[in-house]
Amino acid sequence: MPATPATPQPTIELDGLEVQLGGRTILHGLTGSLKTRAIGLLGPNGAGKSTLINTILGFHAPAKGSARVLGLDSHTQGKALRALVGYMPENDAFISKMSGVRFVRYMAEIAGLPPSQAMERAHEAFVYVGLGEARYRPVGTYSLGMKQLAKLAQAIAHGPKVLILDEPTNGLDPPARKRLIELIREIREAGDICLLLSSHLLRDVEETCDEVLILRNGRIASICNLAEERRANRKFLEMETSGAEATFTAALETLGCECAVFAHGRMKIVMPENVEIREVFKVAADRGVQIRRMNHRRDSLETIFLNAMEQTGAADGRL
Amino acid sequence: MAVYKRRYNPYAGSLTPEWSRFYVLTRYAFAELFKSRVFVIFFILALVPTLGFAAYIFIANNKTVQLLLQIRMGDVLTVDSQYFLIFLFSQSWLAFLLNCWVGPTLVSGDLVNGALPLFLSRPFSRAEYVLGKLAVLGILLSCVTWIPALLLFFLQGGLASGWLWPHLWMIVPIIFCSFIWILMLSLISLSVSAWMKLRIVATGVTFISFIVPAAIGAIFDAIMRTYWGGLLNFPQLFQDIIGNAFHADERFGSSSRFNQIPIPMAWAMLVLVCILALFVLNARLRAREVVRG
Repeated sequence: MPATPATPQPTIELDGLEVQLGGRTILHGLTGSLKTRAIGLLGPNGAGKSTLINTILGFHAPAKGSARVLGLDSHTQGKALRALVGYMPENDAFISKMSGVRFVRYMAEIAGLPPSQAMERAHEAFVYVGLGEARYRPVGTYSLGMKQLAKLAQAIAHGPKVLILDEPTNGLDPPARKRLIELIREIREAGDICLLLSSHLLRDVEETCDEVLILRNGRIASICNLAEERRANRKFLEMETSGAEATFTAALETLGCECAVFAHGRMKIVMPENVEIREVFKVAADRGVQIRRMNHRRDSLETIFLNAMEQTGAADGRL
Repeated sequence: MAVYKRRYNPYAGSLTPEWSRFYVLTRYAFAELFKSRVFVIFFILALVPTLGFAAYIFIANNKTVQLLLQIRMGDVLTVDSQYFLIFLFSQSWLAFLLNCWVGPTLVSGDLVNGALPLFLSRPFSRAEYVLGKLAVLGILLSCVTWIPALLLFFLQGGLASGWLWPHLWMIVPIIFCSFIWILMLSLISLSVSAWMKLRIVATGVTFISFIVPAAIGAIFDAIMRTYWGGLLNFPQLFQDIIGNAFHADERFGSSSRFNQIPIPMAWAMLVLVCILALFVLNARLRAREVVRG
């Protein structure tokens, strides 16, 4: 997946953001800067993802600090910020008796489009998300997958600069999920649009985002630039060997590999970019080492996420 | 984002002025309302009395028709402040019924399936949302109260020479009395609509919100041998206000309690009811503007 270029100013900038709801602190002094155009928001349930989105949308006032999106403060410049935003909420959000296209047109007009333009864009958005045939049916009669697509259509119809998607693939079957992820990627790559995707599904984030903000208990557990990680493309090998391990690891280290040896001939190897697996086999053959098992994997978002959870003492971090 | 290209494109066209966007809600609400034949018939029926009152003015100012009908207007009802008082009072009840029909659906439809966050995630505030919904009821109820009253006023002014200037003061009570009644009805039904999902329940609660406090007030008066319980009888308060504003006489059917509650207190009570209804509405919208997991 090609990475989208970073924006000159941070897409999202959090400066000691603290949000309290009902006297309870939900977000604890979040500080960080996210610069890419496709940002994933990850965290277990109750981590504060939705609260952060609601704060960005201006629904919650920060108790301390600030959240800025494309340089606009969510609290003091809320209206200007919302003028740039398209929002797809997590839960049902529609007017059941309205036809799909009328609903999207209505929302586009609220966003400021003149009626004729709103009508045109509503039709286009509906066809674009693949609901062209169902656009005159009341939204209340749509299936769950269609409702998700209708929510996406209303979020993009007015041509926002920032698209906020809260759990967009919730409740979708695999083909519908695949279609929605493809759409999100298309939108991301098609125009000058920044994406903030909140999800508890690592795969969704991995497939659509360049940068990830991982939250845990209202605190930032990690900010990770996936695009850089992909570029670094660190390769891991997990092996079980039999034979002269010491000379084998020494030979691998001369190739630039980092090796960690465990009991019973198990070892983990981090390979540099220029070393191919067949060179490992060659070294093993030269030294008479038998490779009984080998797993080859790259540093995935799952690893990053689990590391972040472990670092914050979150062994129970559920997804 | 042309349909055939199936490609996402940002919007780069013109935008409507921000101040005018509340009216989008009003426009869509009207479109939904006038889809209903029952509502259209109801609305037309609410306008019929105005035609009757206009016909009366025409007859009152047309000697030929009077001769033909063999009636003398002086024996029945002259076109004066009492005429407008009766017109406004009767129309205020039609406005109440219209409000009970329209009001309950206005907010609940947006709350049932969580559409409110979609409105408020755009450059659109809660105040604009309430204003847009209030405008629906404001315009509708105005069409059956002060607007026809003013039309009748100027019709009479046009037909009867020298009548307009001595009666010009009536424009103020026509507008202000209608305004407080429309505002109170609208805010009560919107706040009820924000709390009740089912239309029939919301309509019932709107009715009850006028009847039950009046009954409680009457019980309070009977037990305490006072008249202050009348402060909970909103239609009676409105009757007192317009009766006072139009210098009502016995033809208006003054009750035994008439003039007992001071008029400023009656105004203050209606304003207080408006503030309370607005507070309740705001609290409900604020609670529902955020998507809850």
